[in-house]
Amino acid sequence: MASRPLFTLTGSPLAGKYGPRTGRIDIDRQDGTSILQTDTPALLTATSRGVVPHLSRDNVHLTKAIHHIQLPFESFLDRNPPVLTLVEGTQPLHTFLGFDPNKHAITLTLRDPSDGRKMPPNGNDFVSAHCTRGVRKVSPSAWKSYVSKCKPDLVVALSDTPFTPAPHSQKRLTKSIERSIAWLADILRVPLPDEAITRPRNVLVHLAGGVEAEARSEFAERLTEPIEQRDAPGLSPPLNTLDDGVAGYVFDLQPLHAAFSAEASRTNSSPSPANELLHSSDRQRSSPETSIALVELLHASLDPLPADKPRIINSPVSPHEILRLVRDIGVDLIDGSWAQRAADIGIALDFRFPTPTDTSCANAPVPRARANGKRDLGHNLFDALYRHDRSRLASCFLDGQSASSAVPPPHGLPVCECHACSPRSPASRILHSSVDSQAWADVRPYALQPPVMRSYVHHLLHTHEMSSHALLAMHNLTALSRFFAGVREVIARGGQEEFEREVERFETTYDEGMALWDEAERMWLEVERARGKGRLSREREKQAASMIGTAVDL
Amino acid sequence: MQFEVLAKCHTTRARVSRMRLAHGVTMLPTFMPVATQAAIKGLTPQQVEALGVNLILNNTYHLNLRPGIEVLKEAGGAHKFQGWNHNLLTDSGGFQLVSLSKFTKITEEGALFASPFDGEPTMLTPEESISIQHAIGADIIMQLDDVVPSLTVGPRVEEAMWRTVRWLDRCINFHQKSGRDDVQNLFAIVQGGLEPDLRDKCLDEMITRKDRVAGYAIGGLSGGEEKDIFWRVIKQCADSLPEDRPRYSMGIGFAEDLLVCVALGVDMADCVFPTRTARFGVALTRNGPLNLRLGKHATDMRPIEEGCPCPTCSSGTTRALLNHTATLETAAAHAITQHNLVFQARVMGGAREAIMSGTFPQYLKDFFSNYFGDAGYPGWCVNALKSVGVDLLEGRPDTKVIPGDGAKWEYSDAA
Ligand SMILES: [Zn+2]
Ligand SMILES: [Zn+2]
Repeated sequence: MASRPLFTLTGSPLAGKYGPRTGRIDIDRQDGTSILQTDTPALLTATSRGVVPHLSRDNVHLTKAIHHIQLPFESFLDRNPPVLTLVEGTQPLHTFLGFDPNKHAITLTLRDPSDGRKMPPNGNDFVSAHCTRGVRKVSPSAWKSYVSKCKPDLVVALSDTPFTPAPHSQKRLTKSIERSIAWLADILRVPLPDEAITRPRNVLVHLAGGVEAEARSEFAERLTEPIEQRDAPGLSPPLNTLDDGVAGYVFDLQPLHAAFSAEASRTNSSPSPANELLHSSDRQRSSPETSIALVELLHASLDPLPADKPRIINSPVSPHEILRLVRDIGVDLIDGSWAQRAADIGIALDFRFPTPTDTSCANAPVPRARANGKRDLGHNLFDALYRHDRSRLASCFLDGQSASSAVPPPHGLPVCECHACSPRSPASRILHSSVDSQAWADVRPYALQPPVMRSYVHHLLHTHEMSSHALLAMHNLTALSRFFAGVREVIARGGQEEFEREVERFETTYDEGMALWDEAERMWLEVERARGKGRLSREREKQAASMIGTAVDL
Repeated sequence: MQFEVLAKCHTTRARVSRMRLAHGVTMLPTFMPVATQAAIKGLTPQQVEALGVNLILNNTYHLNLRPGIEVLKEAGGAHKFQGWNHNLLTDSGGFQLVSLSKFTKITEEGALFASPFDGEPTMLTPEESISIQHAIGADIIMQLDDVVPSLTVGPRVEEAMWRTVRWLDRCINFHQKSGRDDVQNLFAIVQGGLEPDLRDKCLDEMITRKDRVAGYAIGGLSGGEEKDIFWRVIKQCADSLPEDRPRYSMGIGFAEDLLVCVALGVDMADCVFPTRTARFGVALTRNGPLNLRLGKHATDMRPIEEGCPCPTCSSGTTRALLNHTATLETAAAHAITQHNLVFQARVMGGAREAIMSGTFPQYLKDFFSNYFGDAGYPGWCVNALKSVGVDLLEGRPDTKVIPGDGAKWEYSDAA
């Protein structure tokens, strides 16, 4: 059967290769049925150990923002064979992890692109990956067999990105390119007849070369060169170039940011996070300067390559950075790990694109303005400021209940449809006996409920209640998905010019320094530490002693 | 409160009743999940409702510290603050004061303790406890009682019992004067330690106050006393307490304890056990608990329990995935918590069904057979149920009887 291309550019064509663009990703299943169409630029939801952090399955399905899912494989290496490869059926990943084959598209990667921890070097025929039992070496053939069994919707070929201390020598970069090319060729190679391995459908390639523009160009050029004779056997249907077999391009920004800050720290000694609770990417910040550097590097990679394949961005650190990459490159699928991480440290996002003309949104306090006059991107709900704040999470989105009330508020705010801002009572409840229907006779199913209050989430954060992170994760993913909808609308409506204007307006409205993140992280660490000692910990000790009884649930 | 007994077991003291409170109807007997800090661990109120749960518990001591009464009042009470539209029960705060604070001293006036904020001496009086519970706004509130550890002996037990009776009068007076007694229901707490004569005196006193209390709790248990003594105290209290008042057994949560209590005539119970144990990766099933962290579950593609209607099992979550995520991802705790709360609700729902249809003794026999099987039955359960006419061992000559608590756990941490 002839399946459609993975990616189609929509809207008016750009003058050049780069610039804000809209498109559509079509995921077809093996039998040719279309299961998912996504308008781009779109959100790619990050997972940890196979699950969207903090979200139980029912909450994943309530969160309509979740369509594309990034699934790092490495946590499953702690058992051999990895349990993901033992699942039967045509959609083993969806089956095992509880995603809906008709709504969720899964992109499988070996490593977690947001994990920048130091790792032992890769070899000529393996990548060092991380799992709870330590480092595991994964060979291209092992990767190919895992992929063949897991049948992901999209898969990223192995890539040799050094996670050894920077800087990396010229020789190291050359080696990295050679390996990445060989590993891509390997996954594209059609199996010999006796192998029970099928070629994966949508192979994405990470564009290698680190922070050296020349190395990046060289890697991209290798993709477009006629395939060397020694690679030819098995590369069929005849691929003239490796790029012919590639469905899209991946950019991991985490190592690039790490290299930028390593360069900066040689002059001023900015400390890297020493605390084990922090991720290596937590302290990465964007600026107009880092964006210029990124754009230059990404151009070097994309110059030799065709424009009509999707560009996937991992680990951007701010909406500012995302907007500049949309504007100056034209990126299509963007990982939301920074917004999901914000939910870990107590931040509720409260920003919009295009920037609302009136930021003094009625009846809910707007985020704080910094000394530079720019607003925070959200609220650090750890802050004592929110102890008495009964408003909905975001001032620039309405909650479902007020929006649907008989007298809706007079301002035309969009609604945040997340389950924190627009909760609904369940459509049904489990009845545990035949008399239980009497208990629910007066209760309306699927009725809009009042939004979660900031003061409640503030309380949950300070009492270390997990529900806080579940609520924030649903909200932040929804806010970010809405941001991408705004990006698409502006591009579709006003093209490049209006988009550029709106990016500028966004940059002058919202603070990119993300002082809010530093504050939230500090307070989050305080609560984490207080839990390790002091009154709370004594309480926990006492209660551990009596597993039952009228003890409280700490 | 409207309280109506719908059916009684023809053999045991078990009964099914309907309790209507300000936030709806709850069918009894029921298990109440504990939301200490105004959240059931990791879940939203809508998720809890979806499980078929409509009565939960908040802890007064904790809510008084955080977020504080002022914040709760601003929000319009604890229901609105946590987005919970259904029934809510608060304790008096006294138990936590005694168990969590090092410096609590009981006087006739109240419980004197060091404030956790500034260390200043602070007094929690019966009136103050009720006043705090008024601000929280729970549908069922508890009297302040003078709590002594279950294993205490000597005159302190009797002193505490009489003081609990006097404090009940102060709670009743304060509650009735407040005008809140039409929407919030005050429960008395029967004390008296493990001594039957003290329990009897306490029961006599409290039953004479029946017209001014909505229900009765049985306190002073679940503190490490022998189970064979525990059930006798429960039975003694449940036998004496008036038919037309709900009976609440505090701090009970193991399935076998729940069923024994129901058979002895208890209507309500609460415990942190099912939610706490979920965070450590332990799932409850009708064939006994499963420690999902054990390596043997790593490739097991079955759900926790076949046929379980909980969101975790019904969506096909495997033991293997829970093994991969338990204690490492909060979402695993959520998934097991959902299952465990449904397990508790099914144990109690199954009891309601069986009592209604006159098959409760058989329900008990089937449950124990599945849950303990060849591992043997706890002797105290056999004794307790025999006291209400159910012989668990009837027709099972080979079943072992385990002395002591006899709980069967899969708790080893070996992975
Ligand atoms: Zn929201
Ligand atoms: Zn279940």
